[in-house]
Amino acid sequence: MDVNNIAELSGNIAVVGYGLAAIGPGIGVGLVVSKTIESIARQPELASKLQVTMWLGIAFTEALALIGLATPFIFV
Amino acid sequence: MSSPIEKLFATILKQGALLIALIAAAGGLIGYLVASTNGLVSALIGAAMAFVFVSMTALSVLFGGKLSLGGFFGVVLGGWIVKLLGFIALVATLRGADFIVGPVLFGSVVVSILGSLALDAVAFTKARIPTFEPK
Repeated sequence: MDVNNIAELSGNIAVVGYGLAAIGPGIGVGLVVSKTIESIARQPELASKLQVTMWLGIAFTEALALIGLATPFIFV
Repeated sequence: MSSPIEKLFATILKQGALLIALIAAAGGLIGYLVASTNGLVSALIGAAMAFVFVSMTALSVLFGGKLSLGGFFGVVLGGWIVKLLGFIALVATLRGADFIVGPVLFGSVVVSILGSLALDAVAFTKARIPTFEPK
Protein backbone atom coordinates (compact mmCIF):
# COMPACT_ATOMS: atom_id res chain seq x y z
CA MET A 1 0.00 0.00 0.00
CA ASP A 2 1.26 3.44 -0.86
CA VAL A 3 1.32 5.40 2.44
CA ASN A 4 1.32 8.73 0.62
CA ASN A 5 -2.10 8.03 -0.83
CA ILE A 6 -4.29 6.59 1.93
CA ALA A 7 -7.56 8.17 0.78
CA GLU A 8 -8.47 9.57 -2.58
CA LEU A 9 -11.30 11.85 -3.59
CA SER A 10 -12.35 12.61 -7.10
CA GLY A 11 -14.56 15.39 -8.40
CA ASN A 12 -14.56 19.14 -8.57
CA ILE A 13 -13.63 21.10 -5.43
CA ALA A 14 -15.76 23.99 -6.74
CA VAL A 15 -18.85 22.03 -5.66
CA VAL A 16 -17.80 22.60 -2.04
CA GLY A 17 -17.69 26.30 -2.81
CA TYR A 18 -21.26 26.29 -4.14
CA GLY A 19 -22.36 24.52 -0.98
CA LEU A 20 -20.69 27.15 1.17
CA ALA A 21 -22.30 29.87 -0.96
CA ALA A 22 -25.71 28.44 -0.08
CA ILE A 23 -25.18 27.50 3.58
CA GLY A 24 -23.82 30.88 4.77
CA PRO A 25 -26.70 33.01 3.51
CA GLY A 26 -29.09 30.20 4.54
CA ILE A 27 -27.99 30.62 8.15
CA GLY A 28 -28.10 34.41 7.75
CA VAL A 29 -31.66 34.44 6.43
CA GLY A 30 -32.68 32.01 9.18
CA LEU A 31 -31.33 34.38 11.82
CA VAL A 32 -33.04 37.42 10.27
CA VAL A 33 -36.38 35.61 10.11
CA SER A 34 -36.14 34.12 13.61
CA LYS A 35 -35.40 37.53 15.13
CA THR A 36 -38.29 39.07 13.18
CA ILE A 37 -40.69 36.40 14.47
CA GLU A 38 -39.43 37.00 17.99
CA SER A 39 -39.90 40.76 17.63
CA ILE A 40 -43.41 40.39 16.17
CA ALA A 41 -44.32 38.09 19.08
CA ARG A 42 -43.16 40.78 21.49
CA GLN A 43 -44.79 43.69 19.68
CA PRO A 44 -47.42 42.52 17.16
CA GLU A 45 -48.44 46.10 16.34
CA LEU A 46 -45.01 46.67 14.75
CA ALA A 47 -45.43 43.71 12.37
CA SER A 48 -45.62 45.69 9.11
CA LYS A 49 -42.56 47.78 9.99
CA LEU A 50 -40.59 44.72 11.05
CA GLN A 51 -41.53 42.80 7.88
CA VAL A 52 -40.17 45.57 5.67
CA THR A 53 -37.00 45.83 7.75
CA MET A 54 -36.63 42.05 7.50
CA TRP A 55 -36.83 42.31 3.71
CA LEU A 56 -33.78 44.63 3.66
CA GLY A 57 -31.88 42.14 5.87
CA ILE A 58 -32.79 39.27 3.55
CA ALA A 59 -31.86 41.30 0.46
CA PHE A 60 -28.36 41.95 1.80
CA THR A 61 -27.87 38.35 2.93
CA GLU A 62 -29.11 36.74 -0.26
CA ALA A 63 -26.87 38.98 -2.38
CA LEU A 64 -23.96 36.87 -1.11
CA ALA A 65 -25.76 33.68 -2.14
CA LEU A 66 -26.48 34.97 -5.64
CA ILE A 67 -22.90 36.19 -6.12
CA GLY A 68 -21.51 32.92 -4.73
CA LEU A 69 -23.74 30.81 -6.97
CA ALA A 70 -22.77 32.86 -10.05
CA THR A 71 -19.05 32.08 -9.56
CA PRO A 72 -19.11 29.02 -11.91
CA PHE A 73 -19.01 31.60 -14.70
CA ILE A 74 -15.56 32.78 -13.64
CA PHE A 75 -14.08 29.76 -11.80
CA VAL A 76 -14.33 26.86 -14.22
CA MET B 1 -55.42 54.00 -2.11
CA SER B 2 -52.16 52.13 -1.80
CA SER B 3 -50.47 51.84 1.57
CA PRO B 4 -47.03 53.39 2.29
CA ILE B 5 -45.47 49.90 2.15
CA GLU B 6 -46.95 49.26 -1.30
CA LYS B 7 -45.68 52.68 -2.41
CA LEU B 8 -42.18 51.82 -1.09
CA PHE B 9 -42.07 48.52 -2.99
CA ALA B 10 -43.45 50.12 -6.15
CA THR B 11 -40.67 52.74 -5.95
CA ILE B 12 -38.05 50.07 -5.30
CA LEU B 13 -39.19 47.93 -8.24
CA LYS B 14 -39.39 50.90 -10.61
CA GLN B 15 -36.01 52.34 -9.63
CA GLY B 16 -34.44 48.87 -9.63
CA ALA B 17 -35.72 48.20 -13.17
CA LEU B 18 -34.35 51.54 -14.34
CA LEU B 19 -30.94 51.00 -12.72
CA ILE B 20 -30.59 47.47 -14.08
CA ALA B 21 -31.63 48.69 -17.55
CA LEU B 22 -28.79 51.24 -17.35
CA ILE B 23 -26.37 48.57 -16.14
CA ALA B 24 -27.51 46.26 -18.96
CA ALA B 25 -26.87 49.03 -21.51
CA ALA B 26 -23.42 49.88 -20.12
CA GLY B 27 -22.52 46.21 -19.56
CA GLY B 28 -23.77 45.34 -23.03
CA LEU B 29 -21.51 47.98 -24.54
CA ILE B 30 -18.50 46.78 -22.53
CA GLY B 31 -19.35 43.15 -23.33
CA TYR B 32 -19.64 43.99 -27.02
CA LEU B 33 -16.24 45.70 -26.99
CA VAL B 34 -14.66 42.77 -25.10
CA ALA B 35 -16.26 39.79 -26.84
CA SER B 36 -18.54 41.11 -29.63
CA THR B 37 -22.11 39.75 -29.79
CA ASN B 38 -21.53 36.97 -27.23
CA GLY B 39 -20.36 39.58 -24.71
CA LEU B 40 -23.42 41.72 -25.37
CA VAL B 41 -25.78 38.75 -24.92
CA SER B 42 -23.98 37.66 -21.72
CA ALA B 43 -24.25 41.13 -20.16
CA LEU B 44 -27.96 41.32 -20.98
CA ILE B 45 -28.64 37.83 -19.59
CA GLY B 46 -26.69 38.67 -16.41
CA ALA B 47 -28.64 41.89 -15.83
CA ALA B 48 -31.96 40.13 -16.52
CA MET B 49 -31.09 37.30 -14.09
CA ALA B 50 -30.17 39.81 -11.38
CA PHE B 51 -33.39 41.78 -11.90
CA VAL B 52 -35.65 38.73 -11.75
CA PHE B 53 -34.02 37.31 -8.63
CA VAL B 54 -33.70 40.61 -6.74
CA SER B 55 -37.24 41.77 -7.52
CA MET B 56 -38.69 38.37 -6.53
CA THR B 57 -37.75 39.03 -2.89
CA ALA B 58 -39.45 42.42 -2.89
CA LEU B 59 -42.56 40.97 -4.56
CA SER B 60 -42.72 38.07 -2.10
CA VAL B 61 -42.62 40.50 0.86
CA LEU B 62 -45.21 42.75 -0.81
CA PHE B 63 -47.70 39.95 -1.54
CA GLY B 64 -46.89 37.96 1.58
CA GLY B 65 -47.64 41.05 3.69
CA LYS B 66 -51.30 40.73 2.73
CA LEU B 67 -51.49 37.23 4.21
CA SER B 68 -51.47 36.03 7.80
CA LEU B 69 -48.13 35.84 9.63
CA GLY B 70 -47.67 32.15 8.79
CA GLY B 71 -48.58 32.83 5.17
CA PHE B 72 -46.11 35.70 5.05
CA PHE B 73 -43.16 33.61 6.19
CA GLY B 74 -44.27 30.72 3.98
CA VAL B 75 -44.32 32.95 0.89
CA VAL B 76 -41.04 34.75 1.69
CA LEU B 77 -39.02 31.66 2.71
CA GLY B 78 -40.64 29.32 0.18
CA GLY B 79 -39.98 31.92 -2.51
CA TRP B 80 -36.36 32.12 -1.34
CA ILE B 81 -35.81 28.37 -1.75
CA VAL B 82 -37.56 28.26 -5.15
CA LYS B 83 -35.50 31.25 -6.24
CA LEU B 84 -32.17 29.71 -5.23
CA LEU B 85 -33.04 26.37 -6.87
CA GLY B 86 -34.05 28.25 -10.02
CA PHE B 87 -30.80 30.21 -9.93
CA ILE B 88 -28.73 27.02 -9.58
CA ALA B 89 -30.64 25.39 -12.46
CA LEU B 90 -30.14 28.48 -14.64
CA VAL B 91 -26.41 28.63 -13.87
CA ALA B 92 -26.03 24.90 -14.65
CA THR B 93 -27.90 25.39 -17.96
CA LEU B 94 -26.05 28.50 -19.09
CA ARG B 95 -22.60 27.44 -17.91
CA GLY B 96 -21.73 25.27 -20.90
CA ALA B 97 -23.48 27.42 -23.52
CA ASP B 98 -21.36 28.66 -26.44
CA PHE B 99 -22.79 32.18 -26.42
CA ILE B 100 -21.89 32.86 -22.76
CA VAL B 101 -18.81 34.88 -21.86
CA GLY B 102 -18.42 33.97 -18.18
CA PRO B 103 -16.62 37.02 -16.77
CA VAL B 104 -18.96 39.46 -18.57
CA LEU B 105 -22.08 37.66 -17.24
CA PHE B 106 -20.62 37.43 -13.73
CA GLY B 107 -19.65 41.12 -13.74
CA SER B 108 -23.11 42.09 -14.95
CA VAL B 109 -24.82 40.00 -12.22
CA VAL B 110 -22.60 41.37 -9.44
CA VAL B 111 -22.87 45.04 -10.45
CA SER B 112 -26.66 44.74 -10.87
CA ILE B 113 -27.10 43.07 -7.46
CA LEU B 114 -24.87 45.55 -5.62
CA GLY B 115 -26.45 48.51 -7.44
CA SER B 116 -29.99 47.44 -6.62
CA LEU B 117 -29.00 46.75 -3.00
CA ALA B 118 -27.68 50.29 -2.66
CA LEU B 119 -30.87 51.61 -4.23
CA ASP B 120 -33.03 49.49 -1.89
CA ALA B 121 -31.14 50.74 1.17
CA VAL B 122 -31.56 54.39 0.13
CA ALA B 123 -35.28 53.95 -0.69
CA PHE B 124 -35.83 52.17 2.61
CA THR B 125 -34.12 54.82 4.73
CA LYS B 126 -36.09 57.58 2.97
CA ALA B 127 -39.44 55.77 3.27
CA ARG B 128 -41.93 56.83 5.92
CA ILE B 129 -43.59 53.68 7.17
CA PRO B 130 -46.26 54.27 9.83
CA THR B 131 -46.09 52.17 12.96
CA PHE B 132 -49.83 51.71 12.95
CA GLU B 133 -52.00 51.41 9.85
CA PRO B 134 -55.74 51.90 10.27
CA LYS B 135 -57.76 49.33 8.31
